[in-house]
Amino acid sequence: MRLLLVALGFAVAVGGCAGASGPPPEGEPVVVRIWHQKDAAERQFLDDWAAAYNASQDTVRVETLYKETEELRNHYVFAAIGGKGPDLIFGPADNMGTLGITETIRPLDDLVDPAFLAGFTDDGRVTYDGHLYGLADQIGNHLTFVYNPALLPDPPATMAELAALGSTLTRDTDGDGDPDQYALVWNYTEPFFFIPFLTSFGGWVMDDAGNPTLDTPETVAAIQYVLDLRDRYGVIPREADYETAKALFRDDYAAATIDGPWSWGGYQEAGVDVQLSPLPVNEQTGLYAQPMAAAKAYSLNPAVPDWKLPTVLGVLELLTGDAIQAQMARELATIPVRTSVRESGVMQSSALLRQSLAQIEHSRPMPTEPQMRQIWDAMRGPYQLVMNGQVSAAEGARLMQEQAEKRIADTFLN
Amino acid sequence: MLNAPNDAMGVEAATLASAPQRTGLSEAGRRRWFLAALLGPTAVIVLAVVAFPFVYNVAISFSNMNIYTLRDWELIGLDQYAAVFREPAFWSVFLKTVIWTVVCVAFHVGLGVLLAVLLHQSFIKGKSAWRVLLIIPWAVPQYITALTWRGEFNFEFGAVNLLIEGLGGSAISWLSDPVTAFVAAIITNVWLGFPFMMVIALGGLQSIPKELYEAAEVDGASAWTQFRTITAPLLKPVMVPAITLGTIWTFNNINVVWLVSNGGEPNDQTHILVSYVYEAAFSMYRFGWAAALSMVIFAVLFVFTQVFLNRTQATESVY
Repeated sequence: MRLLLVALGFAVAVGGCAGASGPPPEGEPVVVRIWHQKDAAERQFLDDWAAAYNASQDTVRVETLYKETEELRNHYVFAAIGGKGPDLIFGPADNMGTLGITETIRPLDDLVDPAFLAGFTDDGRVTYDGHLYGLADQIGNHLTFVYNPALLPDPPATMAELAALGSTLTRDTDGDGDPDQYALVWNYTEPFFFIPFLTSFGGWVMDDAGNPTLDTPETVAAIQYVLDLRDRYGVIPREADYETAKALFRDDYAAATIDGPWSWGGYQEAGVDVQLSPLPVNEQTGLYAQPMAAAKAYSLNPAVPDWKLPTVLGVLELLTGDAIQAQMARELATIPVRTSVRESGVMQSSALLRQSLAQIEHSRPMPTEPQMRQIWDAMRGPYQLVMNGQVSAAEGARLMQEQAEKRIADTFLN
Repeated sequence: MLNAPNDAMGVEAATLASAPQRTGLSEAGRRRWFLAALLGPTAVIVLAVVAFPFVYNVAISFSNMNIYTLRDWELIGLDQYAAVFREPAFWSVFLKTVIWTVVCVAFHVGLGVLLAVLLHQSFIKGKSAWRVLLIIPWAVPQYITALTWRGEFNFEFGAVNLLIEGLGGSAISWLSDPVTAFVAAIITNVWLGFPFMMVIALGGLQSIPKELYEAAEVDGASAWTQFRTITAPLLKPVMVPAITLGTIWTFNNINVVWLVSNGGEPNDQTHILVSYVYEAAFSMYRFGWAAALSMVIFAVLFVFTQVFLNRTQATESVY
């Protein structure tokens, strides 16, 4: 018993040391901590900015910590529920539902200067459940048709033209019966990459109430089109996950790929003359193949104490302000969400930026409803079953709907 | 000078003898405090990293904790346990977990012992080099090996199908079909796990006296008889605890099955129980349900360990 008391005493002593969170001592800087999931180039940009900012003054210090997307959300939720965690979290808008439900982010409606707020484009103000929960420094995550002009001088404008590429660009150069070059390759096992085809046939993932809308003729037609690209037109390889697709395009075994902004720098570094083009229009419906686009935004931890709030909000305004967004657009080809930057000459600074913006104009915002996560998971399996030939496109669409409804019920009605 | 040590010891003895009067503690009391000082930090660490999480998990398993109730969850009794057993996929995932564990451990032990016996033979040349080569799969981080194997199972570009086609067979769509994807995960895990059993078996073999084999040879015993009557019984005390550990590790090995099958693909049909728990907790935020399932896993492994160790009397030599 005495041993136990000693142990408990030690635990209390250690625990007591960890709880202090008051203002820093006189003369010490206020530390603003940010957790984020920025990719390599953006991460370096943020770290460089933080280092320069910290060197420029003595009263505030910005500290950044990278976490992988899933890890970021889960670690943050548990930390914030315990009253801990960073002051700001940066991530894609589709996290807002989960973070909003768990009350681990604080509405910004009354905290941000209205004049500053008015300077954002609509997609730069991330809302959930009628409240402003995030301020973006860019809109992105959008898939685009990425092509190598040495192999494909003119990108396809329609989905019929895309299908026709198989006959000219998928080639068996060594005569062994297997293609050595493909017209197009992308991670077609992942439902996120299926969305442009779904939208081109007029489909979407959920209705306004967050209910899945997957068992539709539009979904069936979109799945069938992707199947035909592989089995009927020979446009794409028999199997391709993301790493395989990336490697094939990077090493000139594919004339084009479908990929997002996180990848373009890597292709350029590998020596590919990357060009972007909006995903083609579906001549049957007249609709563009629209990928999802998501604002990437900073949100506020409710645990930030009142004494620290002005400092944290000041850093938030700097990180999402005109100067940073213009610099990011120039150096990283991100699409700004400040109206003044979007309308400035910055957008003409690179062909990649202009082409990326052209795709953004043919995209749909990623839903911020928390059901989105369950729908992704529900789509993945049946979609793969169709691709494996185990079920038909119609059966795949039915299974997607069934699984989405079950997952949503399991998660939210438990 | 010759008396000095004795004098010193006398002073020390007198000091010790007078200590209880100064501190108010008896010799036994001082020993208890000394013991407490040594064990205290360990006890705190055990409480913090083992006991508290376990008790907390038990509590959550009786609660309604999910994404909506993270902040104000309540105890609801056995509902989550009932929900676990009512889950349509539970029994098929459980069966897959048993198959996964039995097949993997059987290959780990079989291959491990076979290679250890081979490496123990005097006619094998370059034993050190062979040992290094055979231990490489175990030395490389699991996630690198798993992702590498995933690439090798690609239908068109993977080495496995190129090898099969080179031998005149037909390429297999390994990762697209639930059965072959599960087989691919098992092959990867066998590759990762046999070196551990080989090292354990090799250590056990080296402790068996050579005289036993010499006597058996004099009696005309065949190699198989020698293995059955000498090697196997004398390896048992070493191998049974290793098999017990290997079974628990394999049963709970989320890394390989998750990375090779890309999180249960296709269509969540390659999950084992532990990856199913992970998905329920961190993808679907069903914390109460996931905690209940993790307690079921704990119970299964606890019962297995008790029965296996009792049946094999693996610890009899310890006591």
